[in-house]
Amino acid sequence: MDTLNRTRLPDRGWAQHFEIVQELGDCYVQLGDYEQARDCYEKAAALEPDEAGPYVGTGIIALQQGKLADAQLAFRVALRLNPQSSKAYAGQAMISHQRGHMQEAFELYLKCLDLDSDNLTALLGLFQVSCAMGSFGRVIEYLKVYLGMHPGDTSVMFCLATLYLKDQKPKIARELLMNILQLEPANTDAANLLEEVEHRLAQN
Amino acid sequence: MNASCDHSSPLVSVLMCTYNRPRYLPEAMGSVLAQSYSNFELILTRDGGCPVKDAIEPFLADRRLVFIDRQENRGKAYSLNRAIERASGKYVCYLDDDDAWYPQHIAVLVDALERHSQFGVAYSDLYKTHCRVQPDGRRIVLSKNVEISRDFDRMVMLQFNHALHVSVMHRRQLLERAGGYNETLKVLIDWDLTRRLCFYTDFLHVPVVTGQYYAPVGDCDRISVQQRKNVNDYLRNLLTIRSTRPPKPWPCLPDLAVIVVADQCDASLEQTLQMLWSQSFYPRMHYVPLSSDQLANFRTGIPDAVAITAPQGAAMGDKIDAVLPNCTAEFVAIVPTGLQVEKDEIAFLERSLVPLLTGGSEKVAYELAEATPQRWGAVISRQHLVEARAALASPDVRQSLAAAGIAVRKPEFTQYPFQFDNFLTAAAQVEQSGDWKKAARIYDYIAVEQGNTLWMRTLQANACYWAKDYGEALALMEPINQTHPTPARLLIEARCLQKMGQFERAADRYRWAEAILEARAYRPARGRELVKPTAAAKDLNSQETLNGYVEPDPAAGSRLGAAF
Repeated sequence: MDTLNRTRLPDRGWAQHFEIVQELGDCYVQLGDYEQARDCYEKAAALEPDEAGPYVGTGIIALQQGKLADAQLAFRVALRLNPQSSKAYAGQAMISHQRGHMQEAFELYLKCLDLDSDNLTALLGLFQVSCAMGSFGRVIEYLKVYLGMHPGDTSVMFCLATLYLKDQKPKIARELLMNILQLEPANTDAANLLEEVEHRLAQN
Repeated sequence: MNASCDHSSPLVSVLMCTYNRPRYLPEAMGSVLAQSYSNFELILTRDGGCPVKDAIEPFLADRRLVFIDRQENRGKAYSLNRAIERASGKYVCYLDDDDAWYPQHIAVLVDALERHSQFGVAYSDLYKTHCRVQPDGRRIVLSKNVEISRDFDRMVMLQFNHALHVSVMHRRQLLERAGGYNETLKVLIDWDLTRRLCFYTDFLHVPVVTGQYYAPVGDCDRISVQQRKNVNDYLRNLLTIRSTRPPKPWPCLPDLAVIVVADQCDASLEQTLQMLWSQSFYPRMHYVPLSSDQLANFRTGIPDAVAITAPQGAAMGDKIDAVLPNCTAEFVAIVPTGLQVEKDEIAFLERSLVPLLTGGSEKVAYELAEATPQRWGAVISRQHLVEARAALASPDVRQSLAAAGIAVRKPEFTQYPFQFDNFLTAAAQVEQSGDWKKAARIYDYIAVEQGNTLWMRTLQANACYWAKDYGEALALMEPINQTHPTPARLLIEARCLQKMGQFERAADRYRWAEAILEARAYRPARGRELVKPTAAAKDLNSQETLNGYVEPDPAAGSRLGAAF
């Protein structure tokens, strides 16, 4: 069997039908139409049985519907087909996160980010888990890498500022929050946190 | 079955040849007999192989079908030549027994040729349909790509084909001048014919997808693919085609005479002749002026090469004087032996010829790129060369040219043939490096300067998407998809919409693309959307005005699908 001939060029290769139904499925997930999405993923899996994408999609649907066991199974299949599937690791991390297995979730989010440092879902998941566990060092590094690629992402800047504050680095947190407010003067979360930071700095 | 014909419109002869592929024959035949244009004859030849009676049974009642049932396998070229002898249409077109046309194919091409009488050939675009063949022979469609959508380029047509034969329609009378298929060829027989046609006429490109040819993923049973596996045979056929000189006059192609200037008949001369054959493609004759004592030694396996008697110890000027009365070509290339030519050069002569073909009336000779003062060579119009020799019959041809006021210079790189391909290669390299923004700018430049607008705008939009410039990609793709939707273009538009958070519209484009892949009817939800005209839309509108066509209803394919 030929491997899937994917290309970034239009009108080349034979992945087109697969990509169209797979991405249509992703679109339906965004629209909350899980039945249609599932149909698309099934079709995509029939077209390319060795591709992990449709199983990741099915896992995400199960996760959204709170069917954690189904989701776990789907992500496992996806990882068997493609051990480098960052999205499948992110999915497994979210399951562990929801089950309250913070250490496991932490490790899985890290695995995901090792494969794809651009995965915002994993980044924010890692941030939440880190806050719950009080372990900030590694997540700060990942957030910094992400911000290097997306310099204007204020939601990630805010997370980073929060972590710096928790990590007893209020001056760096203040700088970040001021940057956010320059970009978004009406950002009340940033303004409130800045007020708290200023207060803490004044006390010291 | 609809066998009624509208005899007020010209008769079209559709030629099809089948050999050992009854599984797909009904789809191919059905796609012909379901054409919206009704006044045609379908001449189907069984070129030996397994019987097809069962496969064609449903179509036998259609009086437009002429079936030639031959037991013996004589090859496609032979079969098509016999079919041409039977053909009586004003126009001729071809379909392979495993491909399919969409219902408007004939109508689009007849309309093009009827409205543009200056063209002898018109061709459309086709989907290359990748498919996975099931054990029962069913084909699962994996992609429908428009791999080639290229405006006519005679240089490319001479060097290698760019018009798929299944998409070509030509005036039948052209065959009386160009001849039919070359029955000695094993591969590339289609290109051989289209190449010869371009000696007599320009081709009109109609950038509309009117059919599909199948490309199975994995081992392919296509006869042409199997036959290309023999590399030596393939190259021999390639050279045979490139050395074919159809009957004159050639209204669209000035002839070229190559004078190979050799000190003696030796290995260096043979190497030069071999190099000319493998590294040039323009149709030509080779003349080798040799002294009478050398003449007897002249033997070459290269076609279209003749030796001419020149005086003993003659200089270059004298040798040229010996050849000129023997040739009538409009252009002359003077080629010394022993030039150092890069092995991957494919347009050795053409680099100096094309500036003359495309230039004005300036008196100029273009030197060969590798020429040196010691080993000098150039391409020049025969008339100017004759004038120069009349002005001063010097042993040194350069002095003759100077005496006649003829400039001598090397061609600029920008004057070389295949500029479009060079730009395209450059853009591809930039894409490989990951600089999609720069690639988009190159495609924009090509679209403006070199044409092939629809194709270039698609590549530009794709580059914009990967450069994360979703707004620009969308602005390019939306208006094109209103008139020329293809799965690839719809995929680009859908991805942009998805990235921009417009999921409903993105889903609509994905569904539309899927419908085309599955040959289903689909009504896109585009009525409520306001599409702002863009620069790209303006280009395309002018292209459409030129050709007068827009993409047909994507539901057209469904009628084909429904038939089977």
